[in-house]
Amino acid sequence: MAAYIIRRLIWTVPVILLVILMTFGLMKQIEGNPFRQTERAVPAAVQANLERKFSLDRPWYVQYGNYVKGVATGDLGPSLVLRDRTVNDIVEEQFPNSIELGLLAFGWAVLLGVPAGVLAALKPNSRFDYGAMLFSNIGFALPNFLVATLLIYFVSVKWGLLPTSGWTSWQHKILPSFTLGLVPMAYFARLVRGTMLETLQQDYVRTAKAKGLRRRRIVTVHVLRNSLIPVVTAAAPLLGYIITGSFIVENIFAVPGIGRYYVTAVSARDYSVVMGLTVLLSIIVILANLVVDILYTVLDPRTREART
Amino acid sequence: MRLRIPLLLAAAGVVAVALVAAGCGGGESKPAADGGKKAASQVLRMAWGAEPPSLDPGLATDTTSSNVLLNIMDPLVRLGEDLEPVPALAESWDVDGKVVTFQLRDDGRWTNGDPVTAHDFEYAWKRTLDPKLAADYAYQLYGIAGAEEYNNAKPAQATALRDGVGVKALDDRTLRVTLTSAQPWFVQQAAHHSFLPVHKATVEAHGAKWTEPQNIVTNGPFKLADWKHDASITLVKNPDWRNAADVNLDRVEGRIIVDGTTRVQAFEAGEVDALDGGGLPPADMPRLKDLPEYEKYPALGTYYYGFNLENIPDVNQRRAMAFAIDRQSIIDNVAQADQIPATGMVPKGMPGFGTIEQDFLPPRADLEKAKEFMAKVEDPERKITLFYNDSPGHKEIAVAVQSMWKELGIDTTIKAQEFAQFLEFLGPPPNTAVDVYRLGWIADYADPMNFLELWTSKSGNNNTNFADPAYDRLIEKARNTPNDQQRYALYRQAEAMLTGPNGALPIAPIYWYTYTNLERESVKDTFHINPLDQFDLSKVAIEEA
Repeated sequence: MAAYIIRRLIWTVPVILLVILMTFGLMKQIEGNPFRQTERAVPAAVQANLERKFSLDRPWYVQYGNYVKGVATGDLGPSLVLRDRTVNDIVEEQFPNSIELGLLAFGWAVLLGVPAGVLAALKPNSRFDYGAMLFSNIGFALPNFLVATLLIYFVSVKWGLLPTSGWTSWQHKILPSFTLGLVPMAYFARLVRGTMLETLQQDYVRTAKAKGLRRRRIVTVHVLRNSLIPVVTAAAPLLGYIITGSFIVENIFAVPGIGRYYVTAVSARDYSVVMGLTVLLSIIVILANLVVDILYTVLDPRTREART
Repeated sequence: MRLRIPLLLAAAGVVAVALVAAGCGGGESKPAADGGKKAASQVLRMAWGAEPPSLDPGLATDTTSSNVLLNIMDPLVRLGEDLEPVPALAESWDVDGKVVTFQLRDDGRWTNGDPVTAHDFEYAWKRTLDPKLAADYAYQLYGIAGAEEYNNAKPAQATALRDGVGVKALDDRTLRVTLTSAQPWFVQQAAHHSFLPVHKATVEAHGAKWTEPQNIVTNGPFKLADWKHDASITLVKNPDWRNAADVNLDRVEGRIIVDGTTRVQAFEAGEVDALDGGGLPPADMPRLKDLPEYEKYPALGTYYYGFNLENIPDVNQRRAMAFAIDRQSIIDNVAQADQIPATGMVPKGMPGFGTIEQDFLPPRADLEKAKEFMAKVEDPERKITLFYNDSPGHKEIAVAVQSMWKELGIDTTIKAQEFAQFLEFLGPPPNTAVDVYRLGWIADYADPMNFLELWTSKSGNNNTNFADPAYDRLIEKARNTPNDQQRYALYRQAEAMLTGPNGALPIAPIYWYTYTNLERESVKDTFHINPLDQFDLSKVAIEEA
């Protein structure tokens, strides 16, 4: 097991190098100038000074080499656009907010999505089942920006129950996390319902019933545990994905996370921010997948032998 | 089908809200809804439209940073009602041809107690020009003798060229500036944030982090108490400022809300008292305009279409196209922010506008005349391509203009590009694929020069292929004409060469910008945005509702 984990971790190094190289290459391919953010033309002297300051006047392989060296020592470089800040500053100050938002959203999804799926599966084709699945369909179908705008309009502006935006008190955190959690919530509800229904048909469940076990025990001990394997599989990458920030939710609710930088840094041609965040995202996705693989072996002993 | 979608949305909203309420038990806490009682406490809650990219006067280039800076710092001069310079930290100045001498007040203080001296200005300006700092806006100072040379210096020559820059502190209170030519607008220009002083010891001690609230040393009416990146900016009154007795506000609690719709919703929910003039969402404009809190201000800015003179060579076709544009209709139906139809490059409100204004291009479409011009074209270009950047609003205007030009038998293809790419694509040198392009220009300082020098032949902002030595000479002459009326007369000739009856029409101006805003009635009387998009919070007072 330990050897497996170490092997996996070592493999992340070439993957990250490749991610940096590809992002670097792509950013260099698109036109645009990080030092020209408005229509104002940049005088040649100013452009030359800036390129010298940020080493953009060096050959690409030197830039790439320096960048990789920086990443290896934990230095993601300066932002080319936010001149008082480095990429490390942005990540240190704002990534925790994105993580918090992501975890809260995930909390909503688990808290509401999983029980909804369980109850729907236990009473298939009942009113509750139809209601839960209707809600799940809506959660999937509605885009984030629409849900966000509607929630702010009704909850904050019309009824004055919660603040419109910001990220200071717990009241501020309800609407953004709920909005972001809606899709995973809907996804969990459907997934759990499906796997539960399937598990309920299994032979061992019939055996348990024939043995005279109480329904509650059958459901909690036998059905639920086995139904959760696919949920765990789906959960870790999903968690990795939502804690790295959502541009739309963070932007609309004015959450000071890093999600917005995935978009704004690309349009501003802020190369170092784009690369820094891509590296961060890839590390998180790699780790999330690793965690899933480890969890598998815990939940399902059969997978253990094949791996070690 | 039409009915079903809103119903579905409403249902989704209700379900979601029910879930929120269920999920968190007592979610009844509420933000303060009415501004009335708060009025007595002199705390202004405002929404900023962006995170300031830098609060270093040398590095800041955008409106948000500029407005924060101008409220925590004390410039040499501020701009008055008619954009004339009024004394601020400089109590007087003397202009003698190319030499401007500022006399500083003796009671300017940094927030750490040090006196503000002329040496601070000399240090700050030379720092901004230092090639190693690599300031984007170093060129704002290029009017100073030796400034461009120093900014352009190779490391070896830098020290020598640094001493050649025409800014010198003769003593603690006298700052002498030598310019490259007699630029009569220089004193006004000193109101720009690029001309603010910095505190040398602080800058040197903290490097790039000197602008963080725990390090920053400023000298203005407010202090930067707190700055949570991408979230909030808190300013508090500086009790030691030279004019603190006249400052009403105790605190300015700023929240950074980038999304325009959310900004408006935060205002409507009573969470903020004023927005920063950063623009209201076009879709909401018809509704917002009816609110008592709606306010608009004229801006020094021109939204225009540039013509590529190589591709549309006949001036009569350019005239026809400029006459076919219904500017007022675009403003009323598309742009919707109470802009002013632009009949020239120099915007209304600019000093000297009355002299410079041309009586040629119509605010409303004049199709009859447009067709007359078109009839004179020997070999008209019937198929043209119009480029714009894909930010909100530009497409709608392009589509409107496309249909207006159709009346002239011109088939216009419109193409969008992402902004950064678009700017590189246009040139210079002007891209041959472009027949017409959209751009705008917002003033750096309040003199028509800032708009007219764009169209000189070596200007980096001229992508039209308009290159007329006579025009270049005129601009050069104006640069050296200190007398306002004489200079305005030269500007009039220059504007005529662009948009007058015999002008080359390298551009078709569309509208002059406005700043639209929402301000609670308790601050509406004192909150004011000037045509350069600056607001002075030291003048704001919250009134009893």
